[in-house]
Amino acid sequence: MPIENFKTSHALTMGVELELQLVNLSDFDLTAACPDMLELLRRKPFPGNVTPEVTESMIEISTDVQTEYGPLLGQLLEIRDTLLLAGERLNIGICGGGTHPFQHWSDRRIFPKPRFLEVSELYGYLTKQFTIFGQHIHIGCESGDKALFLLHALSRFVPQFIALSASSPFVQGTDTLFNSARLNSVFAFPLSGRAPFLLQWDVFSTQYFDKMERTGIVKSMKDFYWDIRPKPEYGTIELRVCDTPLCVKRAAALACYLQALSGYLLECHDAPPAEDDYLVYNYNRFQACRFGLDGMIVHPKSYEQTLLRDDIQNTLDLIEPIAEKLGSLSALEEIRQIVLGGNDAGYLRNEYVDRGSVEEMVNAALLRFTQ
Amino acid sequence: MIDLPTLISDIAWPLVILLAWCIGEYAYGRLKLPRISTYALVGFLLAPTQLAILPPANTDAMLLLANIAFGLILFECGHRINLAWLRANPWIGITSITESCLTFVVVYALSMWWEQPQTTSLLLATLSMASSPAAIIRVINEHRSAGQVSERAIHLSTLNCVLAVFAFKVVVGLFVFQTSGELSQAIYRSGFVILASVLLGIMMSMAMPTLLRLLKRSCHDATLAFALAVILLVSLTHSLKLSPVLAALTFGLFSRHRRAVLNYSQRGFGTLGDLFSVLLFVFVAASLEWRNVQSGILLGFVVVISRQAVKIFSTTMLSHVSGISWKKGIFTGLAMAPLSVFVILVLEQTRHIGVDLVDQFAPLAAAAMAMELFGPILTWLSLRWSHEIPQRQEG
Repeated sequence: MPIENFKTSHALTMGVELELQLVNLSDFDLTAACPDMLELLRRKPFPGNVTPEVTESMIEISTDVQTEYGPLLGQLLEIRDTLLLAGERLNIGICGGGTHPFQHWSDRRIFPKPRFLEVSELYGYLTKQFTIFGQHIHIGCESGDKALFLLHALSRFVPQFIALSASSPFVQGTDTLFNSARLNSVFAFPLSGRAPFLLQWDVFSTQYFDKMERTGIVKSMKDFYWDIRPKPEYGTIELRVCDTPLCVKRAAALACYLQALSGYLLECHDAPPAEDDYLVYNYNRFQACRFGLDGMIVHPKSYEQTLLRDDIQNTLDLIEPIAEKLGSLSALEEIRQIVLGGNDAGYLRNEYVDRGSVEEMVNAALLRFTQ
Repeated sequence: MIDLPTLISDIAWPLVILLAWCIGEYAYGRLKLPRISTYALVGFLLAPTQLAILPPANTDAMLLLANIAFGLILFECGHRINLAWLRANPWIGITSITESCLTFVVVYALSMWWEQPQTTSLLLATLSMASSPAAIIRVINEHRSAGQVSERAIHLSTLNCVLAVFAFKVVVGLFVFQTSGELSQAIYRSGFVILASVLLGIMMSMAMPTLLRLLKRSCHDATLAFALAVILLVSLTHSLKLSPVLAALTFGLFSRHRRAVLNYSQRGFGTLGDLFSVLLFVFVAASLEWRNVQSGILLGFVVVISRQAVKIFSTTMLSHVSGISWKKGIFTGLAMAPLSVFVILVLEQTRHIGVDLVDQFAPLAAAAMAMELFGPILTWLSLRWSHEIPQRQEG
């Protein structure tokens, strides 16, 4: 089936998806609680959307289309409270964080939905390893061409989002020394990484997508696990590199940071994106995953080395006027706080040292989600 | 020269336990049958009073071992009980009280109608209230089950077990008073036993974290330390003729709420827990006599059926309001079928303190035997039917 037409959206509208952890409150391990949660949540109207994810220890929520920080945060808080209430009734803990620090992938079970079962059949254990928790941010675009332009213009900023949202320092009970170990699990998939460098929607759909479809490797855009991918049916691009932060306030701030940054990039202050920008892409991405805000990235045009922390500060200064117009200055303030105070990965590591166990680290994440 | 009969007698118990384990593995591998059902079947068939492969056990020592095994499982049950859940969702507590009280009333009425003595009926009713959290948690761990049926079966069975212990102690107190006429002995047998057992459990839960802090261990996992503490606590309460059941449960409950960490890889106390569970389930079934089972089979059967019906009725009626579907409500009631371990240990314990109830309880022996075998299977089936056990063929 050919790719559908790119639906026109209002520029800079946004939507947030969060994949959340479902935790057993006795041993703090993940628990297969999604079917019970969905059963209970179905009884009342949900303030947004709630869906299952690939394994039964995950649940995904999404907001409506939003334009401003205040209403976006308001809806995320309402969703969080609804989830927490359901969790309380069923004795299930709910929290953010890109990975669960000690769950074993083999204990996970696939949610019985045809697509998940197909994916599981194809990818084997990779699917269960994919029990990782990300924040996806959609930004509305007026056309397919603008979406592709924005997608590639944003590529140089991908490390910033990785470092700001990083909340997955532990995997299978051990400190990985990464800030975002989650993205290593995404990289295992053959169709992950970056989108091909094409700037016209026609070319993308008729030449790239159709060819890929004829190879039999892909059936829909969902088969691509790119860091940023276009979503023609929504008329958006979707940034997929963020770990789910530990609290929804941070999730809302990240979305508005992306919104303001997109507004800035669409005004074309910088040199247009080029294929060569991707020469440093994987290196910068690694620096962000491994060292977080202390990562050293290489500018794709000038080849100048910058500390990610400083790069974000510079970007914040550049986009402040646009954020003001969009009503999201408080979101930028939250981002500044992360740059100064550290990301969630650092917070979790400190909790591990202070409280003395991975179980207590999960407990800290559960508490953080309620704040 | 080797004395063959002595040798056979000496190795009979370890051999039977090994045999039970082997058959358990085979039945689990082939039929997915819960291992503890097989252990019970082997224990019952080879018992001194049946095929007599097992020599009469040195009951006191074996009872202590069984109580340690039971104590370890109960500690884990206590550790999994979340009191905050009972506050957040009061319907869980209401379900527990409803199903326990209804079971008591129905079984008592049935037994009286069957023209059993009042004391017998009272004891039969109190012991029927309890499900076996030990059997339920073994099946849940064995099949890696997760979901509301699993979670509620553990909570409800632990709660009704505690309620049954309280009710049982009161009835035994009455029984002692009626037979001996001594009020002080009666009060000691009930009130003091409950209080002292609970207090010992709480004290242990306070002592352990302090001890671990003083040792400044580099490893965060305290599972072994807690296993050793459970063994000590059970031996102590056993020797003082208190209730190891209550003490171990309280210890687990308070340890959890004092944030003691048990390592996730040691769920069910790992290999130690597995070892003790073979021993426990073989031993308890071996202490049942076919003679008793046979003579009480009819009333036993009626008790089992009505008890199960009451439990299913209560959990189903209160399912929707407590946050789950009707279907999961039915399966929660069904999952609470196991009865035996607790009952048999309590009966043995009672004999041990000088009140011999076992022989008067033919119907209970029959019910216990039936549920020893079929209880875990019913738990397993309800978990399977409620899709809380993972499918085997999953990528």
